[in-house]
Amino acid sequence: MSETRLAVNDVSVEFTGLRALDHVSLSVLTGEVVGLIGPNGSGKTTLINAITGQVKLAGGTITAGDTRLSGLSPREIALQGVSRSFQIVRLFNTMTVLENVEAAALAKGASLAVATERAKGVLNELGLAAKVDELGESLSYGDKRRVEIARALAAEPRFLLLDEPAAGMNDAETETLLHTLSELPKTRGLGLLIIDHDMGLIMRLCHRLHVLATGRTIAEGDAAHVRSHPAVIEAYLGKGAVHA
Amino acid sequence: MKHSYLTALILIAVILVIGVGSQLLGIRLYDRIATNLLISLVLVVGLQTFMGNSGLLSFAHIGFMGLGAYTSAVLTIPAQMKGMALPDLYEFMKIVEVSPLLAMLAAGVLAAAVAAVVAYPLMRLSDAASVITSFALLVVLYTVMNNWSAFTNGPRTLFGLPKTTDMPIAAIVAGIVVIVALLFKESRTGKLLRASREDEVAAAALGANIPHLRWRAFILAAFIAGIGGALWGHFITSFAPKAFYLKETFLIITMLVIGGANTVTGAVAGTVLITVAYEGLRSTEGALNATSFGAGQVIGLTEIVLALAMIAVMILKPGGLFPNREIGHILTRARRKKEPAP
Repeated sequence: MSETRLAVNDVSVEFTGLRALDHVSLSVLTGEVVGLIGPNGSGKTTLINAITGQVKLAGGTITAGDTRLSGLSPREIALQGVSRSFQIVRLFNTMTVLENVEAAALAKGASLAVATERAKGVLNELGLAAKVDELGESLSYGDKRRVEIARALAAEPRFLLLDEPAAGMNDAETETLLHTLSELPKTRGLGLLIIDHDMGLIMRLCHRLHVLATGRTIAEGDAAHVRSHPAVIEAYLGKGAVHA
Repeated sequence: MKHSYLTALILIAVILVIGVGSQLLGIRLYDRIATNLLISLVLVVGLQTFMGNSGLLSFAHIGFMGLGAYTSAVLTIPAQMKGMALPDLYEFMKIVEVSPLLAMLAAGVLAAAVAAVVAYPLMRLSDAASVITSFALLVVLYTVMNNWSAFTNGPRTLFGLPKTTDMPIAAIVAGIVVIVALLFKESRTGKLLRASREDEVAAAALGANIPHLRWRAFILAAFIAGIGGALWGHFITSFAPKAFYLKETFLIITMLVIGGANTVTGAVAGTVLITVAYEGLRSTEGALNATSFGAGQVIGLTEIVLALAMIAVMILKPGGLFPNREIGHILTRARRKKEPAP
């Protein structure tokens, strides 16, 4: 499989006077896991929203391979092979788990039979086979998160953007999730961009990290580099922590 | 998928029981009530295909029923009667006279065609904006029916439709419509549309073309409403545009909402329940008036009780009696729980 690059070039986003993203550039290759970290309000979710077309750009471009994503609608971007999960879970509550996941395959043009088969496969993969007939709203928080990931995977994306997939999960669930996610780039050849506050998860899962603070990139590179970067320590722990 | 067959089977059985039951009792009034119920069923299940799957309230449904009724009327009123019934009718249509079955199909197609044109720009709207525009659409359709004298005889009563709808025909059409609604719900369009009903942002992020999905459902609903209108027209045989306005709109929405708009089972349950309640209340009202119990006449009891019932259901069970699972699904799950897998 040839490598494709999801490239965010010099992107800015503004919300009525507030600059949520300030000239941010970032790239994710297929087969790669990139962690997007930073303190609360640093623009992580806004960057995912910008990539998937939920917020408009004030500047810059976003491309996937040769296709320009910036300017397209969320729907068109999804059809270009970019799937996402949401920070606040957005399941189809009164539909069954199976239907939730089928919908993703159907939206990409699969037939009913193919969608069912694909959904069952992904749900098995994520250990949700016993829940297929439950309604979305009746699930535990951790299960909801996993169904959302299953739904994103059923779209067979080239790039998967996960917004805090481990939030609300206990340690055992996080461990299982880590295992599942770390397999994805190999088995499915997709590029993974992941936001999470669980640094243990992020450090073990990601090949590269990208750190945002108040809408700006303050550091990027591998885990060891980022961990010892003064600007990162300052952003997380405050000024003076570097020398403490 | 298996539970969908069970749902279809149960709902068809309900229709059969209504049909056969009304005949066994052998009372003409019951035959009339049963036929009316089955026609309501066509309309309410038709409304469910749009409202249930898209989650958007539509007030326009009865307007499309009216279009269907008038289309079928124009096509079936005997040529020799047309001069009297529709004096302003266009010359070339005066000689047209087709079979009621063909006219019913034409009624559905015309309603669907009008819906396809007028609804296309409206399907981008959600929430309050979509409700208010559907209401405006009802007003437009009503005004057109009230003033297009050539086609509808204006606000005056149109008469002369052959009485071709009887109980068995209404039952057959109702059965077909129930199956169509169940199939549509489980179709690709139906599933994606339901996803958009639950979460528009998430569905769009999957790549669902929401306005287009809604548009398809709206056309199907209008088609069924047109068929229902023709069915009703050939049952009642004379009507005026005011038969297709607020009172009827409120009644079918009450039926659907009380039963549960998200399921076809809910549409059927609501129609049966409200029809029974409606007839019961009307006869109570009549009896009270006959005995002149209390002071003066009892007027509007039926409407008030139904409105209160709608409010009560909205408070106690906001999704209606069958909020998200069809009857077949509920039963198969209950059986599976009773005898857990070995």
